Amino acid sequence: MIESISLLQLIAAALVGIAGGLLGSFALLRRMALVGDALSHVALPGLALGLLFHFNVFFGALAFLLFGTTVIWAIEHRTRIPVDTLVGVLFVVALALGSLLSPEEELLEALFGNIAAVSLAQTLWGIVLASAVISVLIFIKSRLTLSIVSGDLAQTAKLRPHFLEFLFLTLFALVTAIGIQFAGALLMGSLIIIPAAVSRNLTQSMAAYATLSAMLGGLGTVAGVLFAGYFNLSPGPTFILLLGSLFFLSLFFRRT
Amino acid sequence: MPLLEVKNLSVLYGKEKALENVSFSVDKGETIAVIGPNGSGKTTLLRALIGALPSKGEITIEKGVTMGYVPQKLDVERNLPLTGGEFLNLAQRKKLQSNFNVAYSAKEIIRMVGLPLSHLQKSLSAFSSGEFQRLLMGFALKTRPSLLLFDEPTASVDVGGQETIYDLLHRLQDKEQFTTLLVSHDLTTVYRYATKVLCLNKVQICFGVPQEVLTPQELENLYGGGQRFYHHLHE
Repeated sequence: MIESISLLQLIAAALVGIAGGLLGSFALLRRMALVGDALSHVALPGLALGLLFHFNVFFGALAFLLFGTTVIWAIEHRTRIPVDTLVGVLFVVALALGSLLSPEEELLEALFGNIAAVSLAQTLWGIVLASAVISVLIFIKSRLTLSIVSGDLAQTAKLRPHFLEFLFLTLFALVTAIGIQFAGALLMGSLIIIPAAVSRNLTQSMAAYATLSAMLGGLGTVAGVLFAGYFNLSPGPTFILLLGSLFFLSLFFRRT
Repeated sequence: MPLLEVKNLSVLYGKEKALENVSFSVDKGETIAVIGPNGSGKTTLLRALIGALPSKGEITIEKGVTMGYVPQKLDVERNLPLTGGEFLNLAQRKKLQSNFNVAYSAKEIIRMVGLPLSHLQKSLSAFSSGEFQRLLMGFALKTRPSLLLFDEPTASVDVGGQETIYDLLHRLQDKEQFTTLLVSHDLTTVYRYATKVLCLNKVQICFGVPQEVLTPQELENLYGGGQRFYHHLHE
């Protein structure tokens, strides 16, 4: 299944993993595990359009993701419709649309990703963007945390909670658009959710939680890729099985 | 000039009026209690004052006045991987701090609100409700606000025999000299601590000195047939 993977691709995968893990620690605080997972599927039609019309799938995915995050944000702040319901419907529709649009032989790749097929340019893009997302998240971590735990307290601290939320969702879209080429639309969500879920069971402070989550994301992706290469498996599912088993193990060591 | 002046404040939730034509003013050093039945707009009023809700009418805040807010609860459940110390240090932007008097450190705040220093390293999920309320108050006071908005949870979280949250509030108010606007569910507290009382039931029912405006008739208007409160009054 796997062709040779360059060191650069491995670095890109690690950075995407770190960005996903870090982002996931905030997503889980926000209780958007499921919304986040569903959101990653919205990239599929964009990905499919890229494959069909031969443009960079990253931009196709990003365009659809930005649309999806804007919809979530607007629903949360402008209307009183329950987010879960609408998100659930909208994103399954996106998944269906994407799977119909995708050329059949490339559907599997779009759904599950193929790190070996990612071009050098896309790999470099991935490295730059993932590093940027990581830096921004580190820069806004306190403000973001406050706006997640209490929008009202963020308001009195003269922060702009709605803007921070929008920025967070944009970062979410960016990470997903980068990672989707490596992990695929179906599995990208897990790259964001599982490391944070494991870390949450094991830590009591925000610093430890976010750090461990980022580390697990990075190490998990690298381990997944290497492990998959060695046993000739697909890296995405291998990563999930590795971290998924860690999650169940971590249940026995819960701290909070 | 009053510290805070509110004129004809109205808040809409969709088409529903959550608050209508509320007017009152707060002078420096006062403690104003906001009372009213559940759903009467007390929390809505505080949230409109901090700018978290869009409102109509006039809110005039004296120049240089900074607000601290103690919410009833957080937006998310409290079983967070976040320690007391980390919580107190959230959003301490340097630029922001220069606008305030020198802010307290997390350590000083923990002492001020009467919690053991070990709570700085303790996860929020391990705080009791009473301890957590103190921490929230500490968060609000960290930047030394001149006006404190305090939203009391419906259920009392104080442990018998210990300093109540009101005693703490009173003690800190003496020390820090802030003005207080507090939502209260306890009329005894209102009589003991409040210089003025604002009665809400979506519209404003009364505003003034508790002993003068809290007549049995007004309380009945406010709560509807308040046998319970007659009893309180004659205690």
